[in-house]
Amino acid sequence: MVKISIRQIVLSASFAAAALFSALPASGEEAPLVRVSYAVGPRLDSLARLDGSFEKATNAKVTWVTIQSSADILNLFAANELDIARLGSSAVAAGIANKLPIEVAGIEAVISTNERLVARKPIDSVKGLEGKTVAYPAGSTAHYALEIALDLNGVDRSKVKQVSLPPAEIVAAWTRGDIDAAYVWGPFFQKLESDNGQTLLTTKDLQKDGVLLFNNFGVRKAFAEKHPEIVAAYLKTYQEKIDEYKKDPEAVAQFLSKELKLPIETARATLGGLDYPTLKEQLDVAFIGQGSRVKDGRAAQSLKNSAEFLAGLGEIKKSAIPDSYAPYINTRFLEEAVKE
Amino acid sequence: MSLTVRQRSVILPAISIGSVTGSLLLWQLACAQGWISPLVLPSPLDIVTTTIDLIEDGYRASPLWLHIGVSLGRALTAFIAAILIGVPLGLVMGLSPALNAALNPFVQFLRPIPKIALVPLAVVWLGIGEASKFFLIFVSTFLSVVVGAVSAAHDVNRDLVRAAQTLGVSRRQLLFHVILPDALPQIFTTVRLSIGIGWTALIAAEMIAADSGIGWMVLNASGYLRTDIVMLGILLLGGIGFILDALVVKAQKILVPWAGRA
Repeated sequence: MVKISIRQIVLSASFAAAALFSALPASGEEAPLVRVSYAVGPRLDSLARLDGSFEKATNAKVTWVTIQSSADILNLFAANELDIARLGSSAVAAGIANKLPIEVAGIEAVISTNERLVARKPIDSVKGLEGKTVAYPAGSTAHYALEIALDLNGVDRSKVKQVSLPPAEIVAAWTRGDIDAAYVWGPFFQKLESDNGQTLLTTKDLQKDGVLLFNNFGVRKAFAEKHPEIVAAYLKTYQEKIDEYKKDPEAVAQFLSKELKLPIETARATLGGLDYPTLKEQLDVAFIGQGSRVKDGRAAQSLKNSAEFLAGLGEIKKSAIPDSYAPYINTRFLEEAVKE
Repeated sequence: MSLTVRQRSVILPAISIGSVTGSLLLWQLACAQGWISPLVLPSPLDIVTTTIDLIEDGYRASPLWLHIGVSLGRALTAFIAAILIGVPLGLVMGLSPALNAALNPFVQFLRPIPKIALVPLAVVWLGIGEASKFFLIFVSTFLSVVVGAVSAAHDVNRDLVRAAQTLGVSRRQLLFHVILPDALPQIFTTVRLSIGIGWTALIAAEMIAADSGIGWMVLNASGYLRTDIVMLGILLLGGIGFILDALVVKAQKILVPWAGRA
């Protein structure tokens, strides 16, 4: 989608101005202001936005900031314009390597079947992509998954033409026949599948090879230190939405499809294509871990792997990658949210 | 206070050099003292280090010179096409009121549209290859060349035209010996301005499925918060734009030495 790039330019241009303003001291103690980003898509955090439950859970004034991509989020964090955001592991890894003052507060979801490698029929294997054009949204978890899928299947990378495109343009390029395959998330992959496409693999298929990809809740450090209760309340609200969904997936899918004007199948497939570890489960090393064990947790490991992947591509400096991402994962909010 | 020629040739450049050096020092100081976060504005020394890195290792699998070359190639082909088509068309429109009346509404309607707004259309019409990139730069340059050439044709000294016609020159002679020489200086000014506008369209062009080029480099690096590479890209865009402009001025001096001496 072109909007992304326009936004990026505008955001980058407003860096300096924003930084100057944020340096001014805050005046007065009113209801705290919290700025949370959202992307249009049938996700459980949208549920908390649409039914106003996060506002109810805190006395904070909530501003919902619309974003198109992880790149927007990093720029907004850098400009001090955002406090809480859902973003993929690659973005978190890149942001922290570039000294962005954010930390991981929790996991939104583990990517399962919601991100897929779809190819035009009759291509029916990853190996079959040799000599073809494959699109991916740059720097995303889907991009990472694509690289891993190519490696795992022994594909000769020099024979695959890879092009970076935002999701909406992937659909446009597919319709025109400019690309033969794409690794992308819902609701976009459904459009490819319904237009002579077939799924070669999903991100869930990579889990058996030990690759766990997930989306995080990232928070601006200064904000989280000042208002840990708001971050904890956000996580707690999110858990309530998970419970609501698990109790009645169809009702949630119906609600989101109606509110976001999306086909019901898209809402169903997207929501069902993610796994939602509970806040309690996240405190286990199978996900984030707790205390001194965070450094052995899969989250810290996965962030490090993502960072090394990005350094291999040349997107971030190898020397900038921290020894461990554990110091950038703060479990106090999870611990607070699971109390009582 | 008026300056002598000698003072002009020494003092004014010295002031320019001084102001640039002073700004760079202040910038470096602000970064070194931590007044500005490197995420917002990396220091000049950081940018130099990044430049050396990129010259040695390239950016995203392509050497730095290739990114520069790709962008220049995209821009120059579009510039040349826009000038070759735009200048004659503009002159003819300027000389023929009927044709001007027919085409002018389209030109005036299309010209103010921000070319970034055409990106989605360019993808749908021309796909994600080089054609859509060429199209965006071409359209920006072309429209402004046409408008400038129309106005250059309008501004041709009517007395000269009448005098030549009285002397019985052919249409061909009139065009090549009277109208073109009189309009060329203004056309060169138009080309200068248009190239400036076209060069800014490079970013819009390289938003489309690019994996090389300076515009793409800036956009891509911004996605990973590599502000140092963004700054380097901006410096390159500015520097190359400056050089292109200087080349057109040089070409004007050689090809139209009578410019400014009516």
